[in-house]
Amino acid sequence: MQEQVKEILAQEKSKPPNILKALLLLQEQLGHVPVEAVPVIAHTLDVTTAQVAGVLSYYPDLRVSAPGRHLIRVCIGESCFANGCGRLLRTLQDSLRIDVGETAAGGRFTLETMSCAGNCALSPSMIVDRDLHGRLLPSQLDALLDHYR
Amino acid sequence: MSMALRLYLSNDTSARAAGAGLLADAWSERPEVQLIRTSSRGAFFLEPVVERDSPDGRLAWFRVIPEDLPSILSGRGGTPVRSIPFLMQQTRFTFANFGETEPLVLDEYQARGGLQGLETALRITPDAIIEEVRVSQLRGRGGAAFPVWNKWKVAQQAKADEKYVVANADEGDAGTYCDRMILEGDPFRLLEGMLICARAIGADRGYVYCRQEYPAAAATLRAAIHKADEAELLDVDGEFFPIEVVEGAGSYVCGEETALLESIEGRPGVVRAKPPYPAQSGLFGRPTVVSNVLTFATIPNILSWGGAWHAALGTEQSRGTMALQLGGRVKQPGLVEVPFGLTLRQVLDQFGGGMAPGSRFKAVQVGGPLGSLFPASQLDMTICYDAFAQAGAVLGHGGIVVYDHQTEMVDLARHFMAFTAQESCGKCTPCRIGSVRGVEILERIQAGSGTADDLLLLEDLGATMKAASLCALGGRAPYPVLTAIEHFPAEFRNRLRQ
Repeated sequence: MQEQVKEILAQEKSKPPNILKALLLLQEQLGHVPVEAVPVIAHTLDVTTAQVAGVLSYYPDLRVSAPGRHLIRVCIGESCFANGCGRLLRTLQDSLRIDVGETAAGGRFTLETMSCAGNCALSPSMIVDRDLHGRLLPSQLDALLDHYR
Repeated sequence: MSMALRLYLSNDTSARAAGAGLLADAWSERPEVQLIRTSSRGAFFLEPVVERDSPDGRLAWFRVIPEDLPSILSGRGGTPVRSIPFLMQQTRFTFANFGETEPLVLDEYQARGGLQGLETALRITPDAIIEEVRVSQLRGRGGAAFPVWNKWKVAQQAKADEKYVVANADEGDAGTYCDRMILEGDPFRLLEGMLICARAIGADRGYVYCRQEYPAAAATLRAAIHKADEAELLDVDGEFFPIEVVEGAGSYVCGEETALLESIEGRPGVVRAKPPYPAQSGLFGRPTVVSNVLTFATIPNILSWGGAWHAALGTEQSRGTMALQLGGRVKQPGLVEVPFGLTLRQVLDQFGGGMAPGSRFKAVQVGGPLGSLFPASQLDMTICYDAFAQAGAVLGHGGIVVYDHQTEMVDLARHFMAFTAQESCGKCTPCRIGSVRGVEILERIQAGSGTADDLLLLEDLGATMKAASLCALGGRAPYPVLTAIEHFPAEFRNRLRQ
């Protein structure tokens, strides 16, 4: 893994070194940022492990473990709250039998919430992988998730 | 050769989520159709909208499904865009191109007056540019409403080896989406505004900090920067002016200008104490103008038509137009650009079209997750910075979310406080600890074990957070919670332990 991390980080040439950009690049290529890689990241960027760990734990989108094959993010912003995102979320929790932050058995879906998808005129919304869905009804969820195997 | 009919279909993210993507897939192979992917007019309750040219201007079909194609081709049942009340009653300046142009076609942007502001800025002195912005009385549209010319003047006068222009595209306030629309729908307008600012202050580089939740916006903007470069527009006083898109990683507080700068530098998005202000010492310690996307997008018209034109719109202390973004339980959610000065009621009735079917009005929240709640009795509030400041509220970035009779105020208050607890950067104690204590109290009340003392404690906690937090996240977090208690006291009292 060390060699792979170094290879990826060689593409990040910011001066002074940019820890966030480096971690986002790693996550883009590896799917997550393995905690074991923190020392080699720090060494390669010439910063301390504490600095790397600080950035890694600060940003909600940086993940230290691989998510399921598909990532579901249910928007819980105010417009979605007003439009019943709570029911949507409960329906998903029930049908996937997982809580927010967990991955369903078999690794097909990871369920998360997000604070706003910027789709407030079509609430309630959720994003599956990179697909934005709006005007959702709990009754539509099963059919929608069937598209993601 | 048979002529394919030009049909206009929005490529905006929300329009695609409403079904525009489905239509494009269904019709892309049809020889009788030539699809033009435009920005969205922002009447999202009508999306997906399909338009075609006619002697009376564009004709539109609403909430279109693939099977509607024959009637669109025959011209049956279309509505003239000019007669859509939601759009007709607006004053579109910053959003004048929306629904009309293809976002990445520079010629179209120019044909509709684009780049005239930049041309003016290149002709006059930096001092004259700043003077024009001063006369316009433009205030920052991101939330803080600071006079824009003032930042520019400070940055211009600062002595430094490098200076920067940063556009804040971390549109994190729930209920807002106008920056996303600009990034996706009229990206050259943002770039033009940034270039004008760069020329005024003598900047060397530009950055756009775009939230991770907006992948299409970042991609469109990068393509626009590439096209602007090809057209040799990225030039300030004979020097190449690079503009870089930097993507965030899901932190709300990175929309605060100093946290945003920390994040561009690659560190945790922790707020810096001010002063020094970014215009004095910002990115990498250099003078930096940080403004919201909507603010930069307002600049080109001010330079083309003059500051006085802008100052003639709006109210005494709030000049120009505001992009209001309607969401929640209104019948007609969407983007509304109007001069400052309408009342909340006018906006909700004229543009929102009243409540969604089956809903009764309960409260409206203005200004994102840190904005105050207004009950029905306060809807005559004027939409301008002063009226909101006098009421202890904020206009913020123009988000307006309507809650109906089904919203439980205790649950909503807990939702607000949990948001702050989740997003606090942790630097100052009132926000870091206060928000967690606030959630605990509200969860006690939710569970039916709260007491009257808990409500007093919430007020006390709120007063501390307002007075002692380092930035607006902690400082504003108590407002939605306390206004919920103020206007709907019975809902809280009824949940207390008897």
